[in-house]
Amino acid sequence: MGMSSKRGYIQGKVIANCVGKRVFLNGGVARRPYSSVAEEYFPDEPSKPVVTSSQIPGPSSIKLTKELGRSFDSNASYFISDYFNSKGNYISDADGNKLLDVYAQIASIPLGYNNPALIETARSDVMVNALVNRPALACFPSIDYGKILSEGILAAAPKGMGHVWTALSGSCANETAFKAAFIYQNAKRRGSLDVSAEELASCMDNKPPGSSDMVILSFDKGFHGRLFGSLSATRSKPIHKLDMPAFPWPRAPFPQLKYPLKDHVKENHEEEERCLAELENIITKKVAPNKIAAIIVEPVQSEGGDNHASSFFFQSLRDITLKHEILLIVDEVQTGVGASGKFWAHEHWNLSTPPDMVTFSKKFQAAGFYFSDPKLQPKEPYRQFNTWCGDPSKALLARSIYQEITKNDLVTKTAEVGSYIYENLEAMFSKYEGHVQNLRGKNYGTFIAWDHSSPAERDQFISLCRSKGLNIGGCGSAAVRLRPCLVFGKKHADIMLSIIEDVLKTLRG
Amino acid sequence: MSSGNYFTNEPKEPVVKSETVPGPQSSAGIKALGQVTDSRPVYFIADYEKSVGNYIADVDGNVYLDVYAQIASNPLGYNNPALIETAKSDKMIRAIVDRPALGNFPGADTAEIIQGLLDMAPKGQDKVWSGLSGADANELAFKAAFMWYQGKKRGFTKGFNEEELKSVMSNSAPGSPELAILSFERAFHGRLFASGSATRSKPIHKLDLPAFKWPKAEFPSYKYPLDKYEAENKKEDERCLAIVDDILKSWSIPVAGVLIEPIQSEGGDNHASKEFFQGLRDLTLKHGTLMIVDEVQTGVGATGKMWCHEHFDLSPAPDIVTFSKKFQSAGYFFHDPEIMPAQAYRQFNTWCGDPARMILAGAIGKEIAKNNLVQRTKEVGQYMYSKLEALSSKYPKYIKNLRGKDRGTFIAWSLESGEARDKFLKDLKTKGVNMGGCAESSVRLRPTLVFEEKHVDILIQKIDQLLASY
Ligand SMILES: Cc1ncc(COP(=O)(O)O)c(C=O)c1O
Ligand SMILES: Cc1ncc(COP(=O)(O)O)c(C=O)c1O
Repeated sequence: MGMSSKRGYIQGKVIANCVGKRVFLNGGVARRPYSSVAEEYFPDEPSKPVVTSSQIPGPSSIKLTKELGRSFDSNASYFISDYFNSKGNYISDADGNKLLDVYAQIASIPLGYNNPALIETARSDVMVNALVNRPALACFPSIDYGKILSEGILAAAPKGMGHVWTALSGSCANETAFKAAFIYQNAKRRGSLDVSAEELASCMDNKPPGSSDMVILSFDKGFHGRLFGSLSATRSKPIHKLDMPAFPWPRAPFPQLKYPLKDHVKENHEEEERCLAELENIITKKVAPNKIAAIIVEPVQSEGGDNHASSFFFQSLRDITLKHEILLIVDEVQTGVGASGKFWAHEHWNLSTPPDMVTFSKKFQAAGFYFSDPKLQPKEPYRQFNTWCGDPSKALLARSIYQEITKNDLVTKTAEVGSYIYENLEAMFSKYEGHVQNLRGKNYGTFIAWDHSSPAERDQFISLCRSKGLNIGGCGSAAVRLRPCLVFGKKHADIMLSIIEDVLKTLRG
Repeated sequence: MSSGNYFTNEPKEPVVKSETVPGPQSSAGIKALGQVTDSRPVYFIADYEKSVGNYIADVDGNVYLDVYAQIASNPLGYNNPALIETAKSDKMIRAIVDRPALGNFPGADTAEIIQGLLDMAPKGQDKVWSGLSGADANELAFKAAFMWYQGKKRGFTKGFNEEELKSVMSNSAPGSPELAILSFERAFHGRLFASGSATRSKPIHKLDLPAFKWPKAEFPSYKYPLDKYEAENKKEDERCLAIVDDILKSWSIPVAGVLIEPIQSEGGDNHASKEFFQGLRDLTLKHGTLMIVDEVQTGVGATGKMWCHEHFDLSPAPDIVTFSKKFQSAGYFFHDPEIMPAQAYRQFNTWCGDPARMILAGAIGKEIAKNNLVQRTKEVGQYMYSKLEALSSKYPKYIKNLRGKDRGTFIAWSLESGEARDKFLKDLKTKGVNMGGCAESSVRLRPTLVFEEKHVDILIQKIDQLLASY
């Protein structure tokens, strides 16, 4: 991948060669041009968005969504995609539109649409074998499963985490991690005692002591999934939770930082101290002693609005969990696999001790959790168990994804492109005060977000972007988040920036 | 259609090369895998490249006749050529490489892929929601039931009030209401937190996990043989239905759904009569609660009907039917439009299923229909049942309570104790048969849908040889 970009900084200015021939002024320093992995993967990637329908969703999308809706819930459908004609960073739809995609299937496409390396994997004999002979993995693993894990999912493991348990989605990755936490903590509580007859009998009636009264603590605005355990930990929005029975689990405040960070150093530190103190207070006073099995936290609260906290906050959180013998689960379902400019976002924190468990899904295509302490594997077999226990076909994909990321240095590249985007947005947003604010995600790869002045304006922004050929997602109440794939290069960034500025101009009127 | 048409090179009989099972190579593999993940439940390390049809090969060169079939989840035999073709299709490649967030960005081919599932839907069902595993399918169904139950009270298209919006964020009522799913003693519905709350099979499946305070009713325990104890068993049905009626009337938490397996599988292959299921259907209607049938293990042909509950002539059809395993894709079928939430993002998650697996399900459905495999399974099951009946009079100690008559190949029996059962299954492996157990002292047959008379003959011969040596 030795290609260099044909465009780049010219004496501190960024020339965006795209739809609207727009020039961004940039005060940043000149840097070396990026080589474009996208060009090498996708020689025929569109050079810019194509919008042919007068609105998006266009007539074909609307018609197909309606038809689909008769038998399948399509209430949340944006438009009907044409994956056969999607390429790299561009998603095609049923009306022939081609949109630059910085939402990427809710942050789950790793290497662009129709990535040739993944197509090769999908065509391989091992993949065909994994698809047609899906094993009950825990009982009948295949010869190569150990190798597939060690060359892929495990090769990518966060530092200090040599074990993995695989699952099928972000929600079930978190729930299996919760199970590991409950089983571990109850075993610890029991010590050398055997499981009592009372425990065995009461659990069959869903009652303590056999059914645990322990809890998982999560943070305000956290999102951890939508099954019943994960949903009890989710605190993002009512619509995610309404009408569902939930466990009476505690939640702690998550810092609400003020931006720009450099202007609010003291206040933000105090805010983090406040949250940490309240957390200690909850642990020691509001919840009965030794009841919290684990604390789950996202490195950046994504669905909840892209809320960040500092390394100081996370290190202190780690210290608190160690002090109270609570397990720390870091939910990297959305932040993991490179987008933050590190392979795992929590690596930004340089924790003195690794987390106890790290969960993953989305961009890795395979889901599950890593752990370091072998005791997090239950002493008795068949306790962490189900029919499939993961999916070898997804483990194969994860291996290829990891290998491509490493080979092409995509984490570093994402960090660089992210800085480029951030700097340009910072410069741009200074012109649209009152419309956009709280730009965040500096030095956090492409994991960037900002707020609009109101939820309505945010929604309008997203819809205008789409009509100009940019597929972009929201989060929280009034935020917009960038979640491009890992082959989003500078040329894509320029097109995106240009569309964003166009739309902001329209909003400003 | 015979399995010979699919598998020209299927082995004629099992081959056992290693002295023990697992053999030395498997044991080494199990140890290595154990360094990074839990490998203690591993039976042996399989060689899927060499597995064909009803035979699974392992790394020690053993080839077993497989009547466990990946815990009842392999539909059409190992390396089925029709599924290989599907796996190599452009559609499949696309589905694997560009996995969509199906709720937000369905593809132009999504409707067609879904139609593949709907073509095999149980009678009376014309809608589907997709998930990823049996536990996931059931929990998604619970979510649908809870939204429906509250929607019925609130008005399906009405918004939420302030108190609901506020309380839900602290996991309290009324936003997070206390609502229950009623399940049955010895039932198995999965191992996540809500499915785990409905599961009542064994303590090891439930111990140390928080659970919802949901009720359980009793599942009929019949006396066998059924034709001898008709009156007693009818009374048992009535007794169990009365318990359900009572719980639905008086449980402290409103019951939004009644969840039941057509045959309790992990719990020991416990059967109940058509009349029991019809009575249960009536009770759900009477009390305004949904009937959710868990066909994760019984579904997709093995019982001699595509869906086992079709044996029961339920009217109206159940409200929700969940599936996974042999369909390779998971989810639930339903028909009432009100079971689909009126607001977006309520039944939602990142992937909302997996088109790659749904395409496979469609192909499985097509093969089943084309080759009449449900009918074939019914015939093979009858043949196998009569052979086993004969064996059971020869070895009454080892084949007790034979069950699954007229339920295709979905057959089970009990031994005298857990130890006797475990020994039987272990010894049978050394004869080249891979069979699974269930509950405390039972064994269950869960072959693929291309299991035929010739495979039955081998199975019977191996069992006979083994039991003769006891
Ligand atoms: C941080 C985080 N955890 C968990 C999940 C749940 O993942 P899934 O939708 O695959 O269940 C998400 C999904 O958005 C997420 O962002
Ligand atoms: C009837 C039934 N329901 C649900 C499940 C759970 O399925 P899974 O293991 O895929 O979560 C099973 C698994 O054995 C089952 O037999």
